[in-house]
Amino acid sequence: MTRLVLTRLVDLAFVLLGVSLLVFCMIRLIPGDAVAIMLGANTDVTPEKVAALRSRIGLDQPLLTQYWHWISAALRGDLGTSLWTGRPVGEEIASHIWPTVQLSVLALVIGAGLAVPAGCVMASLRGRAADVAMRLASVAGLTIPSFWLGIVLILVLATLAPSLQMLGYVPFWQDPLDNLARLVLPAVCLSLPILANLSRLVRSALLEALGQDYIRTARAKGLGEWRVLYRHALANAMIPFVTSLGIQTGYLLGGAIVVEQVFAIPGLGQLILGAIGDRNYPLLQAVILLVTSGFVLVNFGVDLLYRLLDPRLRD
Amino acid sequence: MAQLSLRSVLSSGVMALALVAGMAPVVAQAQVLEVGVDASPVGLDPHLITAFPSFQVVSGTIYEGLTAIDKDLRVQPSLAQSWTISPDGKTYVFKLRPGMTFHNGAPVEAADVVASFHRVTSKDIASPLASRLLTMDSVVATDATTVTLTLKEPTAPLLVSIATLAIVPRSFEADKDSLQRNPVGTGPFKFKEWQPNGFIALSKFEHYWRAGAPKLDGVKFNIVPESATRQVGITSGQFSMLANIDPATALQLKGKPNVRLAETLELAYTVIGMNTSKPPFDNAKVREAFNYALDRQEIITAALFGAGVPAGPLSPALKDWAVPTAQFACYKHDPAKAMALLKEAGVTLPVTITMNVLPRQDIKDIAQVAQAELNKAGFKVELKNQEIGAFVQDWKNSNFDTFASANAGSPDPDDYFYRTFRTGGSTNVFKYSNKDVDGLLDSARQMTDMAARKAAYAKVQATLACEGPAAHIAYGQLFSAVRANVTGFDMIANRSLANLADTAVSK
Amino acid sequence: MRKSPLLLFAVAMVALPVLLGLGADWLAPYDPVGQDIVARLRGPMVGHWLGTDQLGRDVLSRILYGSRASLLVSAASVGLALLAGGTLGLLAAYYRGWTERLVMRAMDILFAFPVMLLAIGVVAVLGPGAATAAVAIAVVYTPIFARLLRGPALVICDSDFVAGARAAGATDARILLVHVLPNLAGVMLVQTSLLLSSAILVEASLSFLGLGTQPPNPSLGLMLAEGRNVLMLSPWAALFAGAAILLLAFGLNLLGDALRDRLDPRLRGPG
Repeated sequence: MTRLVLTRLVDLAFVLLGVSLLVFCMIRLIPGDAVAIMLGANTDVTPEKVAALRSRIGLDQPLLTQYWHWISAALRGDLGTSLWTGRPVGEEIASHIWPTVQLSVLALVIGAGLAVPAGCVMASLRGRAADVAMRLASVAGLTIPSFWLGIVLILVLATLAPSLQMLGYVPFWQDPLDNLARLVLPAVCLSLPILANLSRLVRSALLEALGQDYIRTARAKGLGEWRVLYRHALANAMIPFVTSLGIQTGYLLGGAIVVEQVFAIPGLGQLILGAIGDRNYPLLQAVILLVTSGFVLVNFGVDLLYRLLDPRLRD
Repeated sequence: MAQLSLRSVLSSGVMALALVAGMAPVVAQAQVLEVGVDASPVGLDPHLITAFPSFQVVSGTIYEGLTAIDKDLRVQPSLAQSWTISPDGKTYVFKLRPGMTFHNGAPVEAADVVASFHRVTSKDIASPLASRLLTMDSVVATDATTVTLTLKEPTAPLLVSIATLAIVPRSFEADKDSLQRNPVGTGPFKFKEWQPNGFIALSKFEHYWRAGAPKLDGVKFNIVPESATRQVGITSGQFSMLANIDPATALQLKGKPNVRLAETLELAYTVIGMNTSKPPFDNAKVREAFNYALDRQEIITAALFGAGVPAGPLSPALKDWAVPTAQFACYKHDPAKAMALLKEAGVTLPVTITMNVLPRQDIKDIAQVAQAELNKAGFKVELKNQEIGAFVQDWKNSNFDTFASANAGSPDPDDYFYRTFRTGGSTNVFKYSNKDVDGLLDSARQMTDMAARKAAYAKVQATLACEGPAAHIAYGQLFSAVRANVTGFDMIANRSLANLADTAVSK
Repeated sequence: MRKSPLLLFAVAMVALPVLLGLGADWLAPYDPVGQDIVARLRGPMVGHWLGTDQLGRDVLSRILYGSRASLLVSAASVGLALLAGGTLGLLAAYYRGWTERLVMRAMDILFAFPVMLLAIGVVAVLGPGAATAAVAIAVVYTPIFARLLRGPALVICDSDFVAGARAAGATDARILLVHVLPNLAGVMLVQTSLLLSSAILVEASLSFLGLGTQPPNPSLGLMLAEGRNVLMLSPWAALFAGAAILLLAFGLNLLGDALRDRLDPRLRGPG
């Protein structure tokens, strides 16, 4: 086990290094120049001005030097300075991260919370009309475009309850109830694919477990259908469920980009879209690095957990 | 009937949900104007910002200049209560209002004006506004309330171009970071709080120099990127104003209960620019054919929902200067004539060209309609939809056949024409060069006789309209939507919200 | 084998839009880019069965052509990803050791990016367009195929009949193509179908953000993006475009789901 953890740690370092290099290169390869945008469209731009600005923000150095400066500072906890506002990137991220984290956690809670009972119902009704209907619904939940759903939801609610204040974001410590009220709709939007995915996962894990010997034994002992489902099969189904949660965190951020845009939530998604438009290299690099590293680390943790949970994989 | 009951069941369900979740119905907040805007400002330093999202938050609200532009686009006194101009047009003496203070409590004195002008022209600050003071020779504080500005040559548009040149405290002269986040000005509102990508809150400045203003206790700019979401925001009453919206949005809000539309003809215009440094647009006949091929009225009907007028080189909002478009022959839509001109020009048909498109929905629509029109008149247009960074870079490097874009416009013809159409002008990305136009522009900027100046610019407009490098498309109608209880708000064609000083919200 | 009505239904749900899309040239009543400003923003009516958009273009014709574009991008991207990811996954499983470690860690790097973020990044580098969107989606899906196929391929490569083939002197390429690959067909079929479905959604999202198919060409995501600005005037274009995206993705996803049920005996359960 120790050896395994060690090899995995080496791999992890390799992956993180690769991710940082890829992020760095990708952003440098994006056509369009930060300096050009900073100087704006309608101005006198002289070559000297461009050169002065380039050297001020360090864009005139060789790529490898830029990478080294960036990554070594990042390891010391200094993520650089945002090009436009002059604020430390860490501060910018800190001021955007909570809405996204809250939204994601809420979506995860809604999605995962409803997925277990939904999956159980589907499994217990296997093959019957209700199971088929729920499966169709879950496929629909998985394939409905979230940006479309968000706009439609807003318009529908605006027609039905025009005086509802549902846009924007209020910090939790300022007004917890208002905060949650405004996040419910976007969180539901974001949670649909999670719900669909996880409920199908629970269903198939349950069906698989139900086919195995120890369940047959339990069943033979005369235990009721629901008890068999809950006590035995569900415990077994939890392993893939937990693993899949790790992967869902990756989906959440992608989904949050669009949902935040629609519901006017000032989170990481907004920060990323803005930084792409402005060619705000230091900010964009840092956010993407943070998000991807977070995803890698979460999945590393889940992987270890998975091995701990599943005795067959422990050696 | 069935539909009705379903709807009422749904809506009562939603209301119940709302109550459970603790959502309160809208309570009119005490005199803070909630404004919905589409994009987040990137910074609030008045000398560094270039984009509309920043401009509309700070200009005339937080910051003011020596002069101001009113809603008829005429120059008015602002921080300077009066001024005199020497007979040779080279020396301006401004008299400041006494007893004004900045938001940080410091007095507003001539030294601050001098420091602000120096700040704008400083190489270190690298302000994009530096070109406004290109002809400045020196600026001196004669005494605490008198500023003397000396120019190298007479500059007719000076009073207009300094109107949006903000005066900031002298302590910021060499500081290029602080104002971006913590603006300090003289305007009716002072900066209060900025939640990035969330909102920017301003509060009433108690010591504002104009008695009785501002009437509001504060203004909050809420950043809401999605158009449909903003519309819901104002119809639900969460926002009291959507500032500077496009015709499509305005049309959708028309007739909504408790929503009123304010409008004005915009100073900004949409334009299709041509690259005259290479074929086919190095040929004036091809440029003329291009104009005949376009049906400006159809473009306006389609892309601007009819809210706009065909554009000549100058906005009809500039009543003193603009030549009516009826006088330009090539503004009559005539595909056959366009074909004939192309044949005369000796180019092979169809003329294959690309068009770079600014990423804005109205411009994308304009480009698509123009493409269809041009394709029927001997051209074959390929649209290149770019993101903003690439678009700006190609624009700046003259890397295009044609481009569809929008431009801010200026209340003074020289301010626009000279840099855009004179040979070597700073925004002459078309690489246009015409000796007659150059001569007229050079002499007109030194003329102090209004009639002569007007005649010169009329000639320039006539030349530019049909064989110039820019096919001006339309001046759009600019709208703002306000709730019915908002009073005293007037729009200004340059998108400034300076008028918020006189705006109030009644209960 | 029992008959599976779900599978039949899924096949029909996929076949219908594919046929409609491929037949766009014959079925579409109008030119998808032909404008008729006077008749714009109409609701469904005789002639324009699904109404017209903000430039007076026929929504039905644009949806037919748009569906075809979506299907092509999606098929091209998943095809590329299957080729690249499948090859890498097989090589990793067959050669093991450093090859496996390197390949799989490289895949982990790509896999670490949220799907939309990586796709946006690739398009930002290559420039917007339908072809680059396809490449971007292929890059995003490559690690998924590689990771998915490596596991079962490992099992097969360890099996007796591969050892037998090797002993009989078969080349590596022959073993992989003739003995290993066919045994993975089921897994590949299921995953291809599921990814085709989500590729439809990613392509629509990219076009929605202005990074995919370029105007005036018809694209479902683009129709949504253009239509949302006039939702309160005429919601039809956006509504139908959204429904078309949903329908395309739905059918393909359902097909994958039903195939998985069919091919994976463990899921049959008791009864």
